[in-house]
Amino acid sequence: MKQKYLITHLLRGEGLSEISVKGYRVRRDLLYTETDEWVRVEGDIAVVGITDYAQKKLRNIISVELPRRGSSVSKGESVGVVESIKAVADLYSPLSGEVVEVNERLRDSPELLNHDPYGEGWVFKLRISRREELDSLLSAERYAEKIGRE
Amino acid sequence: MLRIPLLDLHRSLGGDIGVFAGFETVMSYGDPFAEHMAVRRDAGLFDISHMGRIYVSGTGSMDLLDLLVARDMRESRDGSMVGPTAFLNESGGFRDDVMIYRFGQDRWLVVCNAINRDKIFGWISKWISDRGFNAFLRDVTLDTVMLAIQGPRASEYISKIGLRDANALKPLEFMENLDTRFGRVDVISRSGWTGEDGFEIVSSPSVASEIIGALRSSGVTLAGLIARDSLRIEMGFVLYGEDIDETINPYEARYWVFTRGKRGCVGCEALGEIARRGVSRVRYMVRLKKGLRIIPRRGYRILYEGEEIGYITSGSYSPYLERPIGMGYIRSSHSLPGLSVDVEVRGKYYEAKILDYPLIKR
Repeated sequence: MKQKYLITHLLRGEGLSEISVKGYRVRRDLLYTETDEWVRVEGDIAVVGITDYAQKKLRNIISVELPRRGSSVSKGESVGVVESIKAVADLYSPLSGEVVEVNERLRDSPELLNHDPYGEGWVFKLRISRREELDSLLSAERYAEKIGRE
Repeated sequence: MLRIPLLDLHRSLGGDIGVFAGFETVMSYGDPFAEHMAVRRDAGLFDISHMGRIYVSGTGSMDLLDLLVARDMRESRDGSMVGPTAFLNESGGFRDDVMIYRFGQDRWLVVCNAINRDKIFGWISKWISDRGFNAFLRDVTLDTVMLAIQGPRASEYISKIGLRDANALKPLEFMENLDTRFGRVDVISRSGWTGEDGFEIVSSPSVASEIIGALRSSGVTLAGLIARDSLRIEMGFVLYGEDIDETINPYEARYWVFTRGKRGCVGCEALGEIARRGVSRVRYMVRLKKGLRIIPRRGYRILYEGEEIGYITSGSYSPYLERPIGMGYIRSSHSLPGLSVDVEVRGKYYEAKILDYPLIKR
């Protein structure tokens, strides 16, 4: 009983659900791309956003061009643009599929990408069409290594 | 990589640290738009220690500077700044644009752009040895701090922290060795690069750190280089490396950094020739539609009915005008303030208007 409580407690702790590399947060429950997007798989739906590393590199984001709802996208395709005061970055689809939802709130509040990149700052959801592509995404540990090298 | 002396202090105060011109320095304190607005409506404090600070002294220093800069140095007065002026190359292009403080005929402080510090130090040194001037250089950039407090209420805050004497300064005047409760301030001038009233302060890092603390407690907004950039663009002020460089001359930039008719300085003859010949491109501002959230960036094309007539050299988003703004060079045949043009942003055309600077009236 006591042990079980301890394990649950630890699992909820920040140290276990997140890796911190050079001050950038990498969540363990997500998959990642080399181009700094994150993916949360929920059944046959993938939720996509940009990582804490990406938003910190871009700094103050002022607008987001979102993909079109209903469009078919391929893995690696540029599906949007994130513009900050400092720079412009393409947003690449991590997987192939159909865009089923976009985060409309980002049109008026693009700063959500800075404030909560893994939560309210999610960008779009797609219905996964090629499940095998999931194998090509990076684990949290591999993504943390990538950031560490940059 | 260099770093401004008080980097750790800024980090501890919440500064977002980035790199500018080879210096680790403060990009913002998290909200550059709020920092921008604070400078327009109240006051903001910038650490601009990346700016090059080179003292020039010796009996030959006035002749030396008069040979190298485009303004007549003989017309300057002790306790006043000369500038903005510029070091030119032989073709009349910008080597750097600078402010020069005159302490006396034998002692000056050249404040130059961070990216040009080594170049300018080398350039002045070369002329000292080539011509045998009795002049000496001392670069204090890395040992001192330079602060800028800018905004309509800057003078109130300066009084609040006990530097009331500085309020006697008129624009472009300065005081040396001002004793304050924080220690000695090397130089305090009535100047800045934001279009607002304000002061620039050079002192030791320890004194500067006390001043930052006092201004912060009295309510001044701490600001970073992102806000400084959008503020200077609203005013139409240039940034070396973006809007001017060795290939651009003061007429094209419409940057009046020279004394007309001055002879015998490096680049002066070329300037006369340029004016007689005329120029083919001219610097103007562009203003995009209200509400658009894009930024015209360096290299973006400016078009009129599909034909390229110019290019952007720097741009930003103005939180004051609530729209994208920028500046660039327009073919002189189309340098027509008021003309509607297009700016190409990632393959799309956005309507913009060519305007003169400044974009805001102060």
